[in-house]
Amino acid sequence: MDAMRITYLEEANDLLANLERALLALETNDNDKSYIEEVFRVMHTLKGNSSMFGLPVIAEFVHDLETIYDMIRVGEMQLSKELLDCTFSCLDHLKIIIHDSNLSNEINKDNHENLIHQITDFINQKSGVLTAPKEENTARKSKTFYIYFEPNPGIFENGTNPLFLLSELAGMGNNKAIPHFKVLPENKEFVSDECFTYWDIYLETDKSDKDILDVFVFVEGQSKIEITEIATSSILNDPLFDEFIRRDIYNDVKTDVKEMMALAGTIQEKPLPKKDSVEIVNGTKETKVQKKDKSEKNISSIRVSSDKLDELMNLVSELVTTQAGLTLFAANNKIAELEVITENVEKLSRRLRDIAFGMTLVPINNMFGRFQRMVRDVSGILGKEIEFLTEGGETELDKTIIETLTDPLMHILRNSLDHGIEKGDEREAKGKSRSGKVTLKAFYSGVFVYIQISDDGKGIDVDAVRAKAISKGIIKPTDSLSEKEIFDLIFYPGFSTAQKVTDVSGRGVGMDVVKRNITDLKGSILVESKVDEGTTLTIKLPLTLSIIDGLLVVINQVNYIVPLSVITKCYAVNNKDMVNSFNNLLVLDDEQVPFIHLREEFGYPALPTAQSQMIVINNGERKVGISVDNIIGEYQAVVKPLGKYYKKQDFVSGASILGDGTIALVLDTNKLIDLYTEKTQTEEKTWQLN
Amino acid sequence: MATKLNKDEKIEATKSFLSFKLAEEHFAIEVMKIMEILEVPKITKVPHAPDFLVGVVNLRGGVLPVIDARIKFGLRPIEMTVDTCILVLSIGLNDETVTVGAMVDSVSEVFEMEEKHIQPSPSIGSKYRAEFIQGMIKEKDQFMMLLDIDKVFSSQELESLADNQQEIHLDPAT
Amino acid sequence: MKKNILIIDDSESIREVIATGLESAGYAVIRGVNGEDGLNCLKNNPDVELIITDLNMPVMDGISFLKEVRKSDKHKYLPVIILTTESQEIKKQEARNAGATGWIIKPFSREKLLNVIKKVVH
Repeated sequence: MDAMRITYLEEANDLLANLERALLALETNDNDKSYIEEVFRVMHTLKGNSSMFGLPVIAEFVHDLETIYDMIRVGEMQLSKELLDCTFSCLDHLKIIIHDSNLSNEINKDNHENLIHQITDFINQKSGVLTAPKEENTARKSKTFYIYFEPNPGIFENGTNPLFLLSELAGMGNNKAIPHFKVLPENKEFVSDECFTYWDIYLETDKSDKDILDVFVFVEGQSKIEITEIATSSILNDPLFDEFIRRDIYNDVKTDVKEMMALAGTIQEKPLPKKDSVEIVNGTKETKVQKKDKSEKNISSIRVSSDKLDELMNLVSELVTTQAGLTLFAANNKIAELEVITENVEKLSRRLRDIAFGMTLVPINNMFGRFQRMVRDVSGILGKEIEFLTEGGETELDKTIIETLTDPLMHILRNSLDHGIEKGDEREAKGKSRSGKVTLKAFYSGVFVYIQISDDGKGIDVDAVRAKAISKGIIKPTDSLSEKEIFDLIFYPGFSTAQKVTDVSGRGVGMDVVKRNITDLKGSILVESKVDEGTTLTIKLPLTLSIIDGLLVVINQVNYIVPLSVITKCYAVNNKDMVNSFNNLLVLDDEQVPFIHLREEFGYPALPTAQSQMIVINNGERKVGISVDNIIGEYQAVVKPLGKYYKKQDFVSGASILGDGTIALVLDTNKLIDLYTEKTQTEEKTWQLN
Repeated sequence: MATKLNKDEKIEATKSFLSFKLAEEHFAIEVMKIMEILEVPKITKVPHAPDFLVGVVNLRGGVLPVIDARIKFGLRPIEMTVDTCILVLSIGLNDETVTVGAMVDSVSEVFEMEEKHIQPSPSIGSKYRAEFIQGMIKEKDQFMMLLDIDKVFSSQELESLADNQQEIHLDPAT
Repeated sequence: MKKNILIIDDSESIREVIATGLESAGYAVIRGVNGEDGLNCLKNNPDVELIITDLNMPVMDGISFLKEVRKSDKHKYLPVIILTTESQEIKKQEARNAGATGWIIKPFSREKLLNVIKKVVH
């Protein structure tokens, strides 16, 4: 397959994914105009692409669909469930025929004819109900300016060419520029390289007078410039004004601005705004600043090879680390100018880092669309009522990770739908709601991202799993395993608890492949389940985004980094208060906040100083404080993994190398808090038992 | 012809080893497994980690975990001297290659030895668990244990490698 | 036919950043490393349409270079843009007196660079 074809297919796949998303959204918000626009846009683009790549069958097919949605768009047809279902079928058909553009496959040919028949029917039956009004033209209005530009005679001496300035003005809108010549001196005084021309310029533009003045920025001191707004609309084409300008051409007397404005006033309907003239002579007066209106931007995208992205990210990481060293150097050497420069470097590298790393990240809800489609289709086939919820769609993941995860997640989801959620009657008999709930959740914690699929179905029967594993010879009857270990058996190759093979989830033997895909991404998967209550699978993945904004702190001369994203506020507290607190609670800002005395928990002796810093962290719904010796400041950390040896110490999510070469440990505050609250609970329990 | 063959055989069968000391005990490791030898830089300790994990150090911009080899062998924790150093080792851990630093009391020398001169380690009366010892080497009248470091540094539990669970105390004078 | 722009700066990275910005906008770029080198470049490429020069350079600085250019017959009216930092107000004035056509303040973005060029060349 040649490169062009590959490009076409890549783009077509993207377009079809967008189309699917829009159609799904339309299903629940059928009056939302923007989705209809999107559907139409995608079809239009796909039609164009297919034409260009010499695929007339596809182009014509899409053209018909486009016709329908165009009619819906302008209100000539109304969207109905049948039409939407048909569109979904067309979408599926398109996914297939982009690979079989000649319809060489008999089945494809039949489907194709079938669908065209349906589409044509729809077109012929259009209804006359208007759905949406036409959008108003909201283009920004142009104003008309009069600009008087008289350069000083010696203006050529510094290389200025006034014509370039005129041409820049011409780029701002419709204009007429009329040159005039000053009275030339007598022959013997005439110096040929002096400027004796001046101009009357009439300009229609939506830019402000400040923008116009900006054109003359280099020559302000060497010319006379007057900018006057003469109309709040475009009047250059008005015959009266045109006549006025013609007179100006043949008239060497300086244009009477008052007369011009009076004329302009009669031409426009609206009265002239006050104080609209600006005069600059040898440039010092301030101009009235008008708000600049941004013209609509086209958000376009381009394809970039991932090799280039990888290299870019590596370089950015190195840059961030080097810049940290530079900042440190500047601070140590206290050279004023250097500090300013390094501050700028820091700002720029931060922005660069954000943009570079952002490039490979894609919000996970791109995947969600496919899942929603699948849930919709499968629940129909199975005759089960299923509510599919998603949370955290804006969580961003590296594009390749999303691609690798899609299949495993699909599989887990299918299992939930097929084996997890019970049929409506069965659920009611158990006292549950008729429709089952499947939730897909994504969120960050520390330097990991979690993706959770949970259902409120029948759960996993531990005993059944155990029995199956014994019968398959995976474990011995005498083996004693914890519940977690039994759940882990599900991922064993060749394991399946499906009572029968369904055509939806296959044989259920994919779980070992699922686990392998996840461990390939250096992640892990956890199963939690209760019979009749439901099952939750949690996938934990390390973030490839390895730079975070953090707060650099010190405990016992060791540096730690707390991610800024979790910090609410910092306080200075007295050590005495911490020691004397009841149940490790402190009152901060009139609120009782539980805290962890980190120095003590880490096993270091108490500090001789009187104060510590308390950093209040968001931990899910509540706030928890952690105390440190000192806060050094904000720090942009390139996070590196600690490695396998420190797997158990998961409250440290990584390490960062500071500008001076020492290491700072990056804390995962959620894990930290879990660790110490567990401890307290166990301690309490023991105390109670005694 | 015959001489040539022998020569080739000889070259293949020779390996390089580095010998080092933990307290008074001598050990050896294949040089192939050693990436470099460092003087001990600033070590950052990670809280709540087992004793044998001393901490992490900055190795040219990368994070290197450092293990106290003495604790691993049931000896008292290492005491820093001017000779103490870190062997940066490349070991195989669960199908992956991992870089880890091993802190030792001193390094002695690098020497070559033919494989056939490696003697099997004694199974009885050995202080250390047999699976970690690849064999015994005698170099210049000094017996030393050749370590299978993949196994040595793979076991992550606190348990020492000593056969008996007791700590082996050394005469403070040594 | 591409327009030639001459860039003079003793810092290679600045030269290359500017050159890349200009080349991507369709100009052809000639590079000089200081004022003296710049004069040689002019001699060898007489059809240069615009010069962008730094001020602080070894061997021959920007102001001296500018004065030489304005003295010459061929390039008297050539537009010359100087690169300056915020704090160099005095230098900017000196440059204007020496005949600079315009200026760009460092640091600048590619967009700003192209906006300035619009004013002095096509």
